[in-house]
Amino acid sequence: MHTLYRRAAGLAWILPALVLLGVFVYLPLVQNFGYSTLSWDIYSGSQHFVGLDNYRHLFDDPVFWTSFTNNLSYALLSVIFQVFGALLLAALVESIRSTRWQRALRTVYFIPSAISLTVAGLLFYFIYEPNLGLLNHALDAAGLGRFEHSWLGEENTAMTAVIAMSQWQGFGYSTLLFAVAIQRIPSELYEAAAIDGVGPVRRFFRMTLPLVREMTALMTMVTVSGAFQVFNEVMVMTSGGPDNSTQVLGTWLYRNGFVRNDFGYAAAIGTVIFVITLAIAMAQLWITRRRRVEW
Amino acid sequence: MRARALTRSAALLGASVLVLTGCLAGPAKGPAADVTAKPEYSGTLSILTKFAGDPLERYFEDLATAYERKHPKVHVELIQETDQSIKDKTKTLTASDALPDIYFTWAGNWADNFVRGGRAADLTKVIGPGTRWGRTFSKPSLSAFAHDDHYYGIPLYNNGKFMGYNKSAFDKAGVEVPKTFDDLVAACPALRKAGYEPIAFGNKDGWPALHYLQQLFAHNVPSAVREADYRAKTAKWDDPGYLAALRQFKTIVSTCTDTGRGTNGVLYTSAQEAFARGKAAMYYQEVLEFDSTTSGGILKPKDLGIFPLPAAAGAKGDPKVVEGAPEGYFVNARSPRAALAVDFMKFVTKQSNAKTLSAPPYGQPSTVVGAVTPQTSSKAVHEGITMVNKAPRLAGWLDMVTEPKVSDAWLAGGEALISGSKTPEQVLDSVRQASKSAK
Repeated sequence: MHTLYRRAAGLAWILPALVLLGVFVYLPLVQNFGYSTLSWDIYSGSQHFVGLDNYRHLFDDPVFWTSFTNNLSYALLSVIFQVFGALLLAALVESIRSTRWQRALRTVYFIPSAISLTVAGLLFYFIYEPNLGLLNHALDAAGLGRFEHSWLGEENTAMTAVIAMSQWQGFGYSTLLFAVAIQRIPSELYEAAAIDGVGPVRRFFRMTLPLVREMTALMTMVTVSGAFQVFNEVMVMTSGGPDNSTQVLGTWLYRNGFVRNDFGYAAAIGTVIFVITLAIAMAQLWITRRRRVEW
Repeated sequence: MRARALTRSAALLGASVLVLTGCLAGPAKGPAADVTAKPEYSGTLSILTKFAGDPLERYFEDLATAYERKHPKVHVELIQETDQSIKDKTKTLTASDALPDIYFTWAGNWADNFVRGGRAADLTKVIGPGTRWGRTFSKPSLSAFAHDDHYYGIPLYNNGKFMGYNKSAFDKAGVEVPKTFDDLVAACPALRKAGYEPIAFGNKDGWPALHYLQQLFAHNVPSAVREADYRAKTAKWDDPGYLAALRQFKTIVSTCTDTGRGTNGVLYTSAQEAFARGKAAMYYQEVLEFDSTTSGGILKPKDLGIFPLPAAAGAKGDPKVVEGAPEGYFVNARSPRAALAVDFMKFVTKQSNAKTLSAPPYGQPSTVVGAVTPQTSSKAVHEGITMVNKAPRLAGWLDMVTEPKVSDAWLAGGEALISGSKTPEQVLDSVRQASKSAK
């Protein structure tokens, strides 16, 4: 009886969280899958069951594949800059002897992350603007006028320009997390290595890198997962244009729902995003569980 | 153990089916709005406008305050959105069955969707051409929101697209107002030589290109063909005039803009700014923008001239067609305060308020007869709206008259044409494919 009471009390404690999760996470997920099997006219409210037609349509939709490729590029470049670049930067910052400089640099690198993505997107829109933008003026002033572009207005430069902004905005946050991970490494290990004559480059590859492996794996997963949920920066800077060249899955979902009135197809894209991010999250859990380093 | 797992799975499946059944249900249907009833002057009246931002938002704010003063038990709740954000807002509210009592609409396919879906109240008995209120509006503006001889919309203002030009720049460059498309293109080098960007053009949002395209389509494609192409069932998009128009558009971009292939990276408002600051000699703009273009004080109202985008000699369409359409409001067909909504809109469109709307700083030429006069409106607005009224036919905005998938294909095609990544033939082909998938 006592055990039953304890179980009931335990359930009562977690019930609000379960209800909230159910209503705001799991119910929309199930609903979204339901919508993805419909052809839905939002004006009349009529809905027709179309089975998996919306999923079949994904395969012959070239913009879907452009979007998917853009998300992949986003993920790849983000891993290079926001994981490995940030790790390198964090190691450099942490190797500085002056703590005052360390703090100052951490703050400087972190500031872009404190700016909202929408504001950063607008800021960079004006940096990239072809007539008045800072970038073209800087290139011109440096005698590199031949490299001037309408950075967000040309298909071959727009996606790279958006990704570049995103790296600027996100790498400071990653650097800070890596700095914390590096600080957790016992200093005695570095001191012993220094006494043994191990140089800074070797220390980085042989000591720092293996000892922050858990954080690196976590950051990689978070970054890749985030790259498949990109939306704000693309909407602010290009809205997916020109000619759909900067569409990502999130913006293509939005465009199908709110511009092309195809909410069923939009829901199917939503399901694809969910499956991808779920797979990444599960891989993250698996890797971090297997590779925990203790000292 | 296996039995328990089976029970759990069955419960989960059952819950999912229940959820799915719930989400498959259509929107809740209430009683149809009675727009002829005597209004009950109490409660909250919600209205979704397209007048967010300075200076327009004050118009409805002032009207709401005045109406609340007149009827103290009524509270007018304003939801003011911009030209871009209202599209998403309206669709979200429609999908969630939460449209306000009164909401903004464009004419054309946009409006037809709401009428077809039973979301717009039939106002024939109160605003039809024979009614007292209906007689206060110009007939074409009422007809723009008519469907099968039923009248659904309350037209608020009229609109048209014209090339605005800086008279001083034209004088300095020794350029006459172009009468043909070739004249327009020929004027550009002279204007550039005089120190001006011939035409300021920003296409970051995609739709500004559609405005050029639709006017050029009207010049090059017979009206009957265009009308058939707007409807999914009859659309072919195979008239050679479309290709001619696309080539003309490409010529304008490459010859008359300084940004050329990079025009997709420029904001529409940046282009407007370039014209308003006297840096550009021409800027293709809506009547609604005339007053704001000259409000900065650099381009004086006397320096602003307008002319319709000229047609090419021998074009196969109708050179006198003007691109434009009235914009207005619907009353929610399920609104429990439909009669009050009608009363509020009668207040909004009464002669004195219509004149205020047509005058600076708002400059929105009212559809109410007699509201736009040389005394109430700026010279450019009066001239523009006179040309709109005299036009034998109006060509509605391309993204509002075509199916959403088709207009989206045109939008992407316009951008591709500007950047040079697609030829006119490829653009037209992508539109045909989109049209096929929309059938």
